[in-house]
Amino acid sequence: MIKVSNVSHFYGEEQVLYDISFEIKDGEFIFLSGDSGSGKSTLLSILSTLLKPSGGELLLDNSPVEDIKNIDLFRQENIGFVFQFHYLINYLSVYENIALAALQSKKGNIEKLLQDLGISSLSSRYPNEISGGQRQRVALARALINEPKIIFADEPTGSLDSANSKIVYELLAKAVKNGTTVVVASHDMHVQDYATKTIRMVDGKI
Amino acid sequence: MIALKALKKNPFKSILIFSSITIAVMAIFLISSVSQGVIGMYSNMIKTDGDIIITQKGISDTFFSNVDASIMDKINLMADVKSSYAMIVGASPVGHIPIAGIYGTSSNHLEHYKLTKGAYPESGEVMLGKNISKQISSRTVKIGNKRYKISGLYESDNGFEEGGVVMNLEDAGALFSRSSSFILVSVTSPNATDALVKKIASLSDDIEVKTTKSFIQEYNQFKIIEKSSLVISSLAFLMGLMGIASVMSMIVNSRKEEFGIMRALGKTRLFIMKNLFFETLIMSFSAYSFALILSLGILATLPHIEMLQGYVNGSLSVTTALYVLASTIFMALLGSLIPAWIASKTDPILLINQGCS
Repeated sequence: MIKVSNVSHFYGEEQVLYDISFEIKDGEFIFLSGDSGSGKSTLLSILSTLLKPSGGELLLDNSPVEDIKNIDLFRQENIGFVFQFHYLINYLSVYENIALAALQSKKGNIEKLLQDLGISSLSSRYPNEISGGQRQRVALARALINEPKIIFADEPTGSLDSANSKIVYELLAKAVKNGTTVVVASHDMHVQDYATKTIRMVDGKI
Repeated sequence: MIALKALKKNPFKSILIFSSITIAVMAIFLISSVSQGVIGMYSNMIKTDGDIIITQKGISDTFFSNVDASIMDKINLMADVKSSYAMIVGASPVGHIPIAGIYGTSSNHLEHYKLTKGAYPESGEVMLGKNISKQISSRTVKIGNKRYKISGLYESDNGFEEGGVVMNLEDAGALFSRSSSFILVSVTSPNATDALVKKIASLSDDIEVKTTKSFIQEYNQFKIIEKSSLVISSLAFLMGLMGIASVMSMIVNSRKEEFGIMRALGKTRLFIMKNLFFETLIMSFSAYSFALILSLGILATLPHIEMLQGYVNGSLSVTTALYVLASTIFMALLGSLIPAWIASKTDPILLINQGCS
């Protein structure tokens, strides 16, 4: 469970989030919607422990995030990320990109996961040798490999056509069915078709 | 290994770092080696054939020294003296060559120069060093205002000597208006050296007598060359090292996005630092090795470049090579690990966004 209490955030002098509070229960598919600049990416970064908020508190399974001893390991074990621009590491192959994120105990699952996502033939290819849709599926595989409790996705279909977007959402929905919590920040209103809850952001507020 | 993959997958960046480190290390090597080589050649010239050196008192440079060569008659009679010879060291235009070293020497020292063609010089004759001979094809050569017959050619291990001209002491004396620049004395036993120094010094108030070892240590010109070369090579060294550090730092800063992604994936700071450490180590060590090989090649070629007449020579000591290796790796690590450490403390999403901007 994720609980956000009175979270605010500033970039320099500019305040981008105002006193935000809400809860996300396990197994929910949250759609974080809003216009550009509404603060949804910043909020997603805070929720996913990639950014420390300027104020307020973030509780993960009832523990303040500051109390987590090894936040890097915590992220690796519990959180998966899908970014708009996939952010694969260009000098590692598809397989190696996923292996980089994988816990030692999960490395044996990479081949199967690639098969499940229909990209096993790309295993030895490099990110610049595959299409945008394929890259996003690799990014999704990287997010899923450790069977995380939560997946955060920031505009995961922003650079994809509608067919590839549908594939990505269906894969995320499948993860939810398997008990994973998914939080997607997007402009794309199609996410609503899969989401169990929508949080709308306007000018840094919900 | 991720470090190797990162280097391999970004060949342009890798070549850029490799070249920058190679050039910086080569600059360090060549500047310090050439100055060490100049000192080494001149000191070897003096050290080779003598244990004691006699120069004019109060003269800081052997070029200006004038010692009465007839003093050798008395020295040769002293116990424990094996041999002695006088030398005049000067510089003058030789034929069309604007400046070259002229070595006037006693007849008993001519054999020091290994004759490769012709005969040792008599009065009015000179023999040419291997390097200078490549630029003179005539049978005679004008030195100063006088023309000399070329009697032969010689070789020497010393670049200064190979780029110069040897004539007999009397002709050199006439050319440079002196009896001799210095006299070198060889002793039969090293134990007798100190006593002989005192004994020879008592022969004249106008001379200064020292062991060649202490002369080389105290010789003003060497001190000046040594100090100035130390300043120049230190500056080159510092600039080179700063260059290495800044190149590494630029490269690391350009990879913030990658570090941000790794942090987002749960990779620890230690993991990132460890990979960068190996990457830097591989890069700096291989660039250093390449620079060392190139520098040794250049240093070996320098004495054979005709235009330089063998005057520019270099010697690279193991101590210098090790010191440069340690400094190169240290600065490369400093340049890469400090920005990486600072970056690793930044929130991952900020690193990713910085990388995109």
